[in-house]
Amino acid sequence: MRPDDADGAGGPRSAKEAEVRQRNSKDGEPAATEPEVEGATGTTTQQDGHFECNICLDTAKDAVVSRCGHLFCWPCLYQWLETRPNRQTCPVCKAGISKDNVIPLYGRGSTNQQDPREKLPPRPQGERPEPENHGPFHNFGIGDGGFQMSFGIGAFPFGFFASTFNIGNGQFGGHPPRPNVPQNAEEQFLSKVFLWVAVLFMFWLLMA
Amino acid sequence: MTATVQTKDKRVNQTKRKDAHSVSKRLQQELMTIMMSGSSEVSAFPDGDNIFKWIGTVKGPKGTVYEGLSYKLTLEFPADYPFSAPTIKFKTACFHPNVDEHGNICLDILKEKWSAVQSVHSMLVSIQSLLGEPNNDSPLNTLAAETWCNQPKFKELVHQFLKKSKDEST
Ligand SMILES: [Zn+2]
Ligand SMILES: [Zn+2]
Repeated sequence: MRPDDADGAGGPRSAKEAEVRQRNSKDGEPAATEPEVEGATGTTTQQDGHFECNICLDTAKDAVVSRCGHLFCWPCLYQWLETRPNRQTCPVCKAGISKDNVIPLYGRGSTNQQDPREKLPPRPQGERPEPENHGPFHNFGIGDGGFQMSFGIGAFPFGFFASTFNIGNGQFGGHPPRPNVPQNAEEQFLSKVFLWVAVLFMFWLLMA
Repeated sequence: MTATVQTKDKRVNQTKRKDAHSVSKRLQQELMTIMMSGSSEVSAFPDGDNIFKWIGTVKGPKGTVYEGLSYKLTLEFPADYPFSAPTIKFKTACFHPNVDEHGNICLDILKEKWSAVQSVHSMLVSIQSLLGEPNNDSPLNTLAAETWCNQPKFKELVHQFLKKSKDEST
């Protein structure tokens, strides 16, 4: 009999605390025999060296950690954020969270495993700032984000083609393009093609 | 282009199959946690072989009009649990401001405040708390909300409600 269960009528807040205690007391050991882990900053995901995902309750795979310090499998967190696009919050502490500000964790030997990009959805890349390296074509700006944006504002055809393209591209639309990911090369090429088709269409409209 | 779409379809199928497996795995984890906790205040167990349907029990909180009573609930887990909340209903007739005549419960953490880290145990504890601390501002049962301030009368109605539904079901 655990003392914290006896006073169940403590409101939603105590329910939450009870949950935290409950999580701390998993791994098959009776809760009564172990001291309560320290209060609000208690290690809710880590005990006896285990690193468990807060969502699937299993050892975190393709682990990512949020800025608020909560550990998840990348597929679990991705699905959580996908199911509520309007409220991107940490499921544990409700802190703001986004796909781009979580940090992937690479344990020993994890680089030898399957490329995480092979699994859907791709896990965000670790930040590896590169030296400035602008080629001449880069400055010209075809397919560059800024150019697409300014073009899209004034031009109906481009928007039309862009959305058609996105539908064709399928199920996991919506994740932002990640630079330097080979998987995106084809998409970038296609968007360039569509861009030029749109330019030609605009010319045709102007001439007609 | 076509090739890309096909591989993505394949991946989606793989993801789906993995999902059903991981949902039942998580539910088994939760079942273990509940059984380990040894709590006598709330309990839950799968209803038969289907791990997606559970029967839960919540004891009326001590010091409230529900003290000494025990309420059964049904829990139905969606295929995308824990990304969506389960459907939890009172099986035992419950006279309460936030419970309607069909047993539906109005509780924010089961609706708009749902979080994937909620567990069967935490939800049942929250429901137990709700019994003693109703939200009378948005009632599903207006009579209950109006009577709440008169606790002896309320207690009487709680027991009447329970007895009436037992008589009707027999
Ligand atoms: Zn996970
Ligand atoms: Zn957090």
